[in-house]
Amino acid sequence: MANTLRLYLTCIRNTLEAAMCLQNFPCQEVERHNKPEVELKTSPELLLNPVLICRNEAEKCLIETSINSIRISMKVKQADELENILAKKFLRFLSMRAEAFQVLRRKPVQGYDISFLITNYHCEDMHKHKLIDFIVQFMEDIDKEISELKLSVNTRGRLVATEFLKQFI
Amino acid sequence: MAAAAIHQFAECITCHAWSPDHSMIAFCPNNNEVHIYKFFTDKWEKLHVLSKHDQIVSGIDWSRSSNKIVTVSHDRNSYVWTQEGHDWVPTLVILKVNRAALCVQWSPKENKFAVGSGAKSVCICYYEQDNNWWISKVVRKKHESSVTSVAWHPNNILLATTSTDGKCRVLSTFIKGVDTRGSHASTSTDWKFGEQIAQLDLSSMWAFGVRWSPSGKTLAYAGHNSMIYFIDDVETSPAAQNLALRDLPLRDILFLSERTVIGVGFDCNPMIFSADETGLWSFVRYLDERKVTTSTSRASQLSEAFGKLYGQSKQVASSDTVEPSKPRGGVHENCITCIVPLRKGNDSIVKRFSTSGLDGKIVVWDAENHIDIKK
Repeated sequence: MANTLRLYLTCIRNTLEAAMCLQNFPCQEVERHNKPEVELKTSPELLLNPVLICRNEAEKCLIETSINSIRISMKVKQADELENILAKKFLRFLSMRAEAFQVLRRKPVQGYDISFLITNYHCEDMHKHKLIDFIVQFMEDIDKEISELKLSVNTRGRLVATEFLKQFI
Repeated sequence: MAAAAIHQFAECITCHAWSPDHSMIAFCPNNNEVHIYKFFTDKWEKLHVLSKHDQIVSGIDWSRSSNKIVTVSHDRNSYVWTQEGHDWVPTLVILKVNRAALCVQWSPKENKFAVGSGAKSVCICYYEQDNNWWISKVVRKKHESSVTSVAWHPNNILLATTSTDGKCRVLSTFIKGVDTRGSHASTSTDWKFGEQIAQLDLSSMWAFGVRWSPSGKTLAYAGHNSMIYFIDDVETSPAAQNLALRDLPLRDILFLSERTVIGVGFDCNPMIFSADETGLWSFVRYLDERKVTTSTSRASQLSEAFGKLYGQSKQVASSDTVEPSKPRGGVHENCITCIVPLRKGNDSIVKRFSTSGLDGKIVVWDAENHIDIKK
């Protein structure tokens, strides 16, 4: 199990390493604009083929690249309803604080749970390898975080039930 | 180490150019200004700030004999700066394009300059004595995407361009009244202005950094698919060589001599290429020897911030932690975007050159004793 996760993350890391070759590039369509091409998608020649990395059906990562920006979207494992609701709430909590993360997108791409948008400006300010580390670290932690939350919800549920049923003894 | 001098001028440098005597340097610190520094005995001092553009300056070129600076910017304009006394006086050049200008280069005779733009066109600008005005002639409808780089052939007529549609084109820039018929080689009779001499469709990806060899015999450019292309005899019978790189793509290249090329790019370390007697090009080595750095598991600033937000109770010491990636490069810490030769006199071999990148450093490299430059 641990081994497959490592392979998955190494694959993502290597793909990001190659994909994150960004440069300042002004918009070709609108005068005096400079926008992430991966979001606008106005000039097809400025986009590269997206890469989809799947660990299994529930866990996948889509990397879309363009000349001045890269978008990384991921789907987090959700085995049951409880995990589903926990993931939704938790990722919503993060997305609402997107400014604090700089590279986080406020809304995930359709079909995914969370998206990052890295532009050439981020690459100018920050070290590329640190950015990649952050993304990989995030993916590594998110599963742990959710299973931890699930455990604590279950523990709490059990405690509450015990307390509640005590009155009938 | 082949780096002769390392100067940290700014946070981030988009492009730079040297004065003819190499005592001054002009660069853009990733904003709308151009800073000119001069070297006084022991340190660099800021002499001028040229701030006429209102968006990021994307190209600077300093002419060698006429001492003029041309700058282009994403604000669609170009200025030619001439030194009058102590000050630099700008002359606006209306480029007649409605998108950002991306690159600029003086022609060898310095009577014209070429600007590549995001309007999928190239502007050839020349000075009109009568009106005291720079005129721009636009080559339209030849490129299918933004023009990323331009390079002049030594004959002052041919211009090579690379574009994000992956093609490299060679155009004629003959302008009546500026160029004379006899000035270009007798190989071809009459090329009109804007005529396409050749279109090289080697790269399936965006092309960058086109350059001619000192004699104009060989043309080289880089593709974003980590390839470098060398083309011999472009005008008559083109013969191309493709060279795939093991590492990240190149952004710009420079001919040190007919058979030695330096490539710079996302790998943060200049690469040396050379051709053997038969004209076969190959990768030689990295210019800056890579140091084996010991990996320290420092958490990035971002992960720290992330940790703060959702409680720092997390212990990530499990077996499936992926090794943190190592920084690339040596002297440069981020992508190198610009490489400029430091020519001495009329020497055809470049012995010193400088590189600048997104890490804000300008590094002067001494090639003479470190690279085997083949003539």
